[in-house]
Amino acid sequence: MASGFFARVFRRGRDRPMTCHEAAAVLQQYLDGEIDDTTAVRVASHLDVCRDCGIEAETYERIKSTLAIRRADLPEDSVARLRDFAASLQSGHAPS
Amino acid sequence: MTDQRTSDAAFQQYVVPELEVMLRVARSLTRNAADAEDLVQDTLVKAYRAIDRFDGQYPRAWLLTIMRNTHINSARRRRPELVRDPDNAPEQPAEERTDDVVEQQIDGRILEALDELDEAFRTIIELVDIDGLSYAEAAEVLDVPVGTVMSRLHRARKRIRDRLVDEGFGGGRS
Repeated sequence: MASGFFARVFRRGRDRPMTCHEAAAVLQQYLDGEIDDTTAVRVASHLDVCRDCGIEAETYERIKSTLAIRRADLPEDSVARLRDFAASLQSGHAPS
Repeated sequence: MTDQRTSDAAFQQYVVPELEVMLRVARSLTRNAADAEDLVQDTLVKAYRAIDRFDGQYPRAWLLTIMRNTHINSARRRRPELVRDPDNAPEQPAEERTDDVVEQQIDGRILEALDELDEAFRTIIELVDIDGLSYAEAAEVLDVPVGTVMSRLHRARKRIRDRLVDEGFGGGRS
């Protein structure tokens, strides 16, 4: 009985809409995929209905996507040299 | 002689797939393409020597720890670079083109703001947003708690965001 009461209170807390303050506190983790699914759903629901937080999230997403472009920026010759080096270690040519 | 074939197989299984991640992280740590390659090579040598003692759990975290320690030790041996050499900075992607001038301006402002961040903030952005590390992996590289990663990341992104908003590009909370 008691555990049912606490479970209901807890569930009510988890089900109620997030405030802007709560959403802002976990926005970065949400954008990075570093929060649990339940919280992510609550953040997404808040962003759907809150104009300011939605724009804020879009701005941060824009920053992340621009920075991620640099991820493609790995010189192939450098990677190839390192692969060769790794292969040479495996062939028994590790420096002593 | 230990079973070299077993070591080679473990190295191939756990280390080689992480080469590109290692190079990205090394570039963020050294800010110099040649030094980054040297750092990865040193890390590979150490990883190869230690592979027999590796338990197979979380190879990326294991490699990033070796890299961090190697980087710290080599930085101790020589004077750290105080000025970023633009000739050796990571190249900008050439294929990225858009017809939208405003979009290009926003990209430019974001990258400028990144370059103007303090070292600690720029590094955390590079590790998470550019190198694609998780919070836990970035914490491993920097040898700081995950909470520190989160707070630095938040502050760093906010500085970039504030610059965009100040220049009329972004929006949201004032």
